Amino acid sequence: MLTIKNLCKSYAFADARQSVLQQLDFDMEASSSVALRGESGSGKSTLLHLIAGLDRPDSGEIHFAGHAIHAAPESQLAELRRSQLSLVFQQFHLISTLTVHDNIRFQAALCGRQDPAYESELIERLGLADQLVKYPQQLSRGQQQRVAIARALLHKPMLVLADEPTGNLDEASSLEVMALFSDLVRQAGSSLLMVTHSRAMAGFMDRRVRLHNGILAEDE
Amino acid sequence: MIKALLSHYWRHPWQTLFLGIGLVAGVALWSAVQIINQHAEDSYRQAQSLLGAQAHYWIRSRRDEGIDPDTYIRLRREGFRQLFPLIELEVSTAQGTSISIIATDLLALPGDSFDAGDSTREFSQTWLNFIQPPYRAWVPAVLAQELGLEPGEQLELRDGRRLPPALIQARAQQGRRVLMDIGAAVALSGQDRFSYLAVGSIAPHRFDLLAASLPDHLELIENQQHVDLRELTQSLHSHLTAMSLLSFAVGLFIVFNAVRFSLWYRRSTLLNLRLMGCDNRLLALAILLETLVWSLLGSGFGFAIGVLLAQLLLPSLGASLQSLYDAVVEINLGLSPWTLLQAWCISLFGLLWALAWPLYRQLRHSSFEAARSENLLADETRVRHWLALAGLLLAAVATIAYGRIETVTGGFVVLGLVLFAAAWLLPVMLAAGLRLLACLLPARLLLARWMVSDGWSQLPAFRSAMMALLLALTANLGVGSLVDSFRSAFVGWLEVRQSADIYLRAPQVSHEQLLDLAADGNWLADSHHRIGVSTRWRNRPTLVRGIDPTAPDSLTLPLSRWQGDSAGAALQSWREQADKVLINEQVHFLAGVEVGDHVSLDGDRGSRDYEVVGVFYDYGNPYFQFYLPDQVVAKQWKHYHSRGIALWLNPDNEAAMQQAEASMRALGAQPGDWIARAQIRRLSVGIFDRTFAITAAMNLLTMLVAAIALLASLLAILQERLPQFAQWRALGLRQSEQLLLVATPLLIFCGIVWLLSIPLGALLSWILIHKLNIISFGWSMPLIWEIAPALRLALVIGLICGLTLLLVAFQWRRQMPLALAQLGETV
Repeated sequence: MLTIKNLCKSYAFADARQSVLQQLDFDMEASSSVALRGESGSGKSTLLHLIAGLDRPDSGEIHFAGHAIHAAPESQLAELRRSQLSLVFQQFHLISTLTVHDNIRFQAALCGRQDPAYESELIERLGLADQLVKYPQQLSRGQQQRVAIARALLHKPMLVLADEPTGNLDEASSLEVMALFSDLVRQAGSSLLMVTHSRAMAGFMDRRVRLHNGILAEDE
Repeated sequence: MIKALLSHYWRHPWQTLFLGIGLVAGVALWSAVQIINQHAEDSYRQAQSLLGAQAHYWIRSRRDEGIDPDTYIRLRREGFRQLFPLIELEVSTAQGTSISIIATDLLALPGDSFDAGDSTREFSQTWLNFIQPPYRAWVPAVLAQELGLEPGEQLELRDGRRLPPALIQARAQQGRRVLMDIGAAVALSGQDRFSYLAVGSIAPHRFDLLAASLPDHLELIENQQHVDLRELTQSLHSHLTAMSLLSFAVGLFIVFNAVRFSLWYRRSTLLNLRLMGCDNRLLALAILLETLVWSLLGSGFGFAIGVLLAQLLLPSLGASLQSLYDAVVEINLGLSPWTLLQAWCISLFGLLWALAWPLYRQLRHSSFEAARSENLLADETRVRHWLALAGLLLAAVATIAYGRIETVTGGFVVLGLVLFAAAWLLPVMLAAGLRLLACLLPARLLLARWMVSDGWSQLPAFRSAMMALLLALTANLGVGSLVDSFRSAFVGWLEVRQSADIYLRAPQVSHEQLLDLAADGNWLADSHHRIGVSTRWRNRPTLVRGIDPTAPDSLTLPLSRWQGDSAGAALQSWREQADKVLINEQVHFLAGVEVGDHVSLDGDRGSRDYEVVGVFYDYGNPYFQFYLPDQVVAKQWKHYHSRGIALWLNPDNEAAMQQAEASMRALGAQPGDWIARAQIRRLSVGIFDRTFAITAAMNLLTMLVAAIALLASLLAILQERLPQFAQWRALGLRQSEQLLLVATPLLIFCGIVWLLSIPLGALLSWILIHKLNIISFGWSMPLIWEIAPALRLALVIGLICGLTLLLVAFQWRRQMPLALAQLGETV
């Protein structure tokens, strides 16, 4: 489903270029989950951005669902992001002017994939049924993250890319949300690639990898 | 600390640019008009300095026959050295352009009338050339450029005569007139008579002697031109001042926006400074210092651009002032440091006004609260409601004050109240518009609903820009409608009033002789010999006209008010009874004379009362005017003047025009003494268009300033919400959809503003026409409201939006990659 070969990415810092990813190779099966760990600045988020087509590699290839992400035009990437991918961030990024219900349905509406039964189930399982007419800013942080998760899963994407999705929550809420999140991803038949610092969060994933010096290695 | 605060401007050059543009544009427009007004004031003060700063009196012929040189020589010989002769001529160039010539005898001028201090050889030669054949015609550079006249060239007139060789230069107060020696003017006109004599400073006992020495057919008139000019032109200058203040207000909205955003972006800097121990007073002081610097920069650059603008606008305004009021405005601009000081004061005031509330709000909150954007957004609703409340209050005050408008300034204050009331009510209306649209959109159109609802996020940034746009659109529609109404009324009025084919103004041509010649040639269908007296009534220049009640233009005289059942009946009673008078609207509105009132006019045979039976339209005339049957004027005033003869040509005679011209020449008239209807209309409409050219220019510039406000807001939105847009891009939103997300609220807001500006513009023109115009100029007209200008403005708004969105898209393309790379914070 996702294959990365010889991926290189560097950034210019002052007069020099600093290499973030060096000849990185990575494979990910469909319906699997992977925890991506590493020190701050190791390039975890960069890798996520490259997979989502939000940034371009210096060299190397990224193939996802039969698409060459590294060479695809912006329009194709936008299409892929709206239908086959989902991104969940630490900051939730909900649309403050839309209700919770509209926020949940947002990405599904973008790709025209409506599934009322699944929508009801998702809302029920995430405990948002009573919050639908509220606006995001009226919810707690935990509830806001649940809305972001519901939005990411409603259109059943092939791959969910999550960047510290529970980084804004306390430990108890994090564990609770993470358990629900990984369970829902599995139920949706999606894959999950999650950046995390937390060993506990990584424990929810099928596989754990560590990024160090621009190279990916299996984590213990 | 100051360095930390000022670093914002380096990091956000767009913000800096827009703050600068707003301030400079506002100050520039204001100071341009201020400079023009001040300059015109100075010109009026020095009026006639060339041909008699000391011309305290004029000696004129009571019958407008000019003054023969013998009388002048006799008076000089009697010791009246304060006298100097003047000839004024109106001629037509070969291309049909009318030009004014003024001529005098330089050697007769009182000592300090001319700046004769320059005694270089070159200077002396210039003067010698001026007074010796073949003479020199001093042509102002602006006029020479219009006529395509080169130095040394002799301008050809319509009848083939030529002016003396041109010298492209002008003296103060020459205005657009061509100046030449009196000998040259005598040679040119072929008449050995002066138009009038000017009298310089004269002791009271000499004045009495002079008055006694004058023959009966001459009169000594006090020169009240300066007083009259100030009075007559005051309204026009007030209008210009009001427009410049409006432009400044529009510029201020940009400043308000920029200042607000500069504080918004620096909230974290302010927070850090406060955490590090800077107290609010110190921070406020630092920002006030920054404001001071901005005000100095804004006023300096604004004033410089204002000077350039004034230089561009002055020739057209000067020409209008000369055409309408005979007010000569020096074309070369004189600048006063006082105006620069005023520009600085007004820019400092504008900045402080823009800064006061946001700064107070920023510093009032506790340190952490101030840095949170949600608080500012929550404040937005409160601000909206307070503004609406203030707007309602202003509207109420304007409604109460409307009935009490008595002065031009009072009128403009009410206009200002109305405009600001509307501007302050606007945010609430925009919010209401968003709410209404959200209700109308079906639930299934999620993306459309999102785009509409995003307006709530954009509203704070657009608030000031939309207010600026509303003011600019309203001013455009209101003033545009005023000009259109005036144009339509004026052209229609010209059609009726100037119905004759030829207007002849040559004192030497007798009406009876002309009728005799016409009877032989069968070229004349009808004629109207008008007579009149120049006087003062209620301390304002006034014309009492004696007109033939049976002449074609008298029978169809358009009345705005009349006594009895119909205008026809009122005209009939005026024709038949010697104690009835018609007054122009200026007398009705400015002097408060109603139909049925009695007015007392001082004639040579004593004062006499007349009953007002009608009020006639008299567009563009700054004077009071009374119409009496010619027999009454001839009987009541023994020293009346001929005011010209109107000739209606025989439509069946194809050669009528040529025959008429030949007859007039035969009786001693020169080309330039008469004017054909087409030409008079062209001239009148030309004067009209020139008068309103400055209005159109100000409207255009105000729209430009509003467009800049819009662009500034859009770019601020882009800057502020870039991370949000990047996140949405990550969700799969296309660039076009993102652009639509910004464009939809923008178009909704612009649409609402446009819709509001239509009734508001109508209200503005209503007040301008039915209140201010009457108070200022003393005439009224029907309000003509057409949808075409509003549609044109909609197109302009569309273009402005399109252009600004294009710029935003360009900026996006540049900044989005970095924003996308910065998504998430766990790298």
